[in-house]
Amino acid sequence: MDKITFDNLQETLFHERLDNGLHVYILPKRGFSKTYVTFTTKYGSIDSTFIPRGKEEYVTVPDGIAHFLEHKMFDKKEEDVFQKFGVLGASANAFTSFTRTSYLFSTTENLYENTKVLLDFVQEPYFTKEKVEKEKGIIAQEITMYDDNPDWRNYFGTIQSLYKEYPVNIDIAGTVDTIQEITAEHLYECYETFYHPSNMTVFVIGAVDPDEMINFIREDQNSKEFSEPEEIKRKYPEEPKEANRKKTVLEMDVLRPKFNYGMKCNHTILNGDEMLRQDLSVNLLLDILFGRTSEFYTKAYNDHLIDETYHYDFVFEKGFGFAMVESDTDKPEELEAAVRSTLKSLTEKWTITDDDLNRARKRRIGQFMRSLNSIEFISNQFTQYNFNDMNLFDVVPTLENIEIEHLKDAFATISNEDSHTVMTIIPGSKED
Amino acid sequence: MFTKVELQKGVNLYIRRTEQFKTITMSIKWLSELNEKQAAFRAVLSNVLQDSNADYPKQSDLRKALDELYGTVFYMDAGKRGRSHIVSLNMECVNDEYLSTSGVFDEALKMMYSVIFNPNLKNGTFDESVVNREKRTVIERIRSIYDDKGRYAHKRMLELMRPNDPASMSASGTEKDVESITNASLLDTYKRMLDEDEIDIYVVGNVNVDELAEKIKTMFGFPARETTRKQYEQPDTKNTEARQVFERQDMKQGKLQVGYSTPVSFFHPEYPKMQVTNGVLGGFAHSKLFMNVREKESMAYTVNSAYAAYYGIVYVMAGIDADLEEKAVKLIGEQIDALQNGNISDLELDQTIALLTNSIRSAFDSARGQIELYDQYKQLDEDFTADKWIAKWEAVSIEDVQQMASQIHLELIYLLSGREA
Repeated sequence: MDKITFDNLQETLFHERLDNGLHVYILPKRGFSKTYVTFTTKYGSIDSTFIPRGKEEYVTVPDGIAHFLEHKMFDKKEEDVFQKFGVLGASANAFTSFTRTSYLFSTTENLYENTKVLLDFVQEPYFTKEKVEKEKGIIAQEITMYDDNPDWRNYFGTIQSLYKEYPVNIDIAGTVDTIQEITAEHLYECYETFYHPSNMTVFVIGAVDPDEMINFIREDQNSKEFSEPEEIKRKYPEEPKEANRKKTVLEMDVLRPKFNYGMKCNHTILNGDEMLRQDLSVNLLLDILFGRTSEFYTKAYNDHLIDETYHYDFVFEKGFGFAMVESDTDKPEELEAAVRSTLKSLTEKWTITDDDLNRARKRRIGQFMRSLNSIEFISNQFTQYNFNDMNLFDVVPTLENIEIEHLKDAFATISNEDSHTVMTIIPGSKED
Repeated sequence: MFTKVELQKGVNLYIRRTEQFKTITMSIKWLSELNEKQAAFRAVLSNVLQDSNADYPKQSDLRKALDELYGTVFYMDAGKRGRSHIVSLNMECVNDEYLSTSGVFDEALKMMYSVIFNPNLKNGTFDESVVNREKRTVIERIRSIYDDKGRYAHKRMLELMRPNDPASMSASGTEKDVESITNASLLDTYKRMLDEDEIDIYVVGNVNVDELAEKIKTMFGFPARETTRKQYEQPDTKNTEARQVFERQDMKQGKLQVGYSTPVSFFHPEYPKMQVTNGVLGGFAHSKLFMNVREKESMAYTVNSAYAAYYGIVYVMAGIDADLEEKAVKLIGEQIDALQNGNISDLELDQTIALLTNSIRSAFDSARGQIELYDQYKQLDEDFTADKWIAKWEAVSIEDVQQMASQIHLELIYLLSGREA
């Protein structure tokens, strides 16, 4: 087992790659009573075209299948997995993102028994026609719930307006129609392809003894049989630089319009240190341009273009990336003009100074330190970074080395107006 | 767990020294009696105070100073609990030992002092443009509930069950009360908050308890005050008949809320038993509602119950196809009947106690969790610890759950669903 210490953070990370290819990371946290364990596969909603294990031709599976598979993993022949965790005092959950499916539990007792339940249920698929059909009702309600949620519609609508080809534009849960096509055979095909240990990572954090835990997981994995690791072949379409649509308006039953300005990132085939630097640079840049100390924020808040719902964000993965600036607003046109002019003036004349950068850098370093109090944050963020060959614990040294030139490069990846979109949710016409 | 220091009568400091976190978290809470008008005033006041002060007259200056302090978190909010309204000033900063500079916590303390004692006043009153802007902000906060259908359904259920009552009051007040705020009334509220409210100050982090207590005592000179806390009194609803209310908006999914009242509230000796009962019914993924309404019938993605202990209300929430409302209500009723008839397995009880235990211990893994839980439970026991409370849950039997379930009384079935074509 490798041991990596981060002296300035007072953290020690343990790592081992097991014979079957599974990566295991363990991070003990002093003073914590809880342990949080995640078991994650590098398989998400964007992985819809691939060569199934043992086959030679590409297939394209129905939208929403990674998420459907996540639901079905909990349902076994005899019992529900939640019950097993419950009796051992663990709270279990799972989530599917664009690029990952993660199964997890947190517990303050019976750590090894719970870890065993987690490893077993993720590594023992059980799908039948009847159980697959039954799940469709539950997932249809989940999809409908999101359909009624204007914030989700605004977020996802923006992604769909930005991306024309890339499957990040597919709703993670699919649609009520596409999930009807899903069969048990589909689920097995995806499972066999993407749930091989060599495509997965276990992360254990909290109250844990690293040596005992690695022995436990190693023995468990050695006692199970797996096929040889194979390279997974996935196919993604080429995405044009331009946004899919410049403007999208959707009517819903809301009192005030919701506004979202989306910027597609046009430099996404990166990994490791380079990717981390660009990720952090775009985030610093957004803080300087749109954060609460910015001229934009001060004016927009005073002019009542934005309110407490205002926020901005940058999502960055291998193959896609987008920044968003959103708020509820009574004046979507004025807000759009304000965002555009902020971007435009920086394009015309670079005004960001070292002082701006240093202040933003300090803020981000503090924010990172704060987030190290959260074992959920560390686990999820570490895994997401790790799948892109970045190391979460390089964040502070990377931040310390970012210079103005990096911000200029970062700005160039998102500043092209042709790659921008505006999404608004507006109050629908009432028909009482 | 917390060391208590009485700074003045009615002003208490609670410090917890721990090496668990890389930050120091501080929270100052002002408690007053909850009424809609004062809630509105205090919600706006906390926005005005966090916007700027005499030392940092512009919001962007204040925010820049916080960024310089390694992104120290700084915000105020308004909440409620029983008959109390609570304004909190919250701060979290990185502990100096993780930084190359020192003095961050001291600077952050000074900023808290400025926010409280040096407000941004011009000629003795708050800056009018800030007040007007923050009135609008709070009004928008109140109105925004409409756009979140789940929250809206819950709000309507409470309004219908407990009209004109703390249970259904918003901690931000009403739009009308916010509109009515004048500069004079805001200043009056500010003075009363500083001089009359009960004040609790919390600090969690790797700090020296004695030194810090002395420092805070010297710095924040709150005068002594008389405090009397009145408990929430529930209306008697034992003999009222259950009502059904259906409302419509333009939406796809039906939001069902079923409200029950119970005489067992937070201050009742049997409160821990009712917590377990709610857990068996619908608090977790092994609970009766999840297993029977979601997993067996596949008719919902979200279905759970919650216990608003201060107000003696247990409620069930489900997102369903509106056409299935009758079936859902019947299924929910069957789960209550099962509890009342004692159809509860040892497994269900054990799982519930294990998960309640896990959730309280997990909450202690965050500084905010430590503050919020202790702040709540100290009303029952100043020496509160998670272990003590867990022991109470472990003593609960199947008969106790049955007996608790027989003390909940169906009051309201509320469905919010899409417009008819």
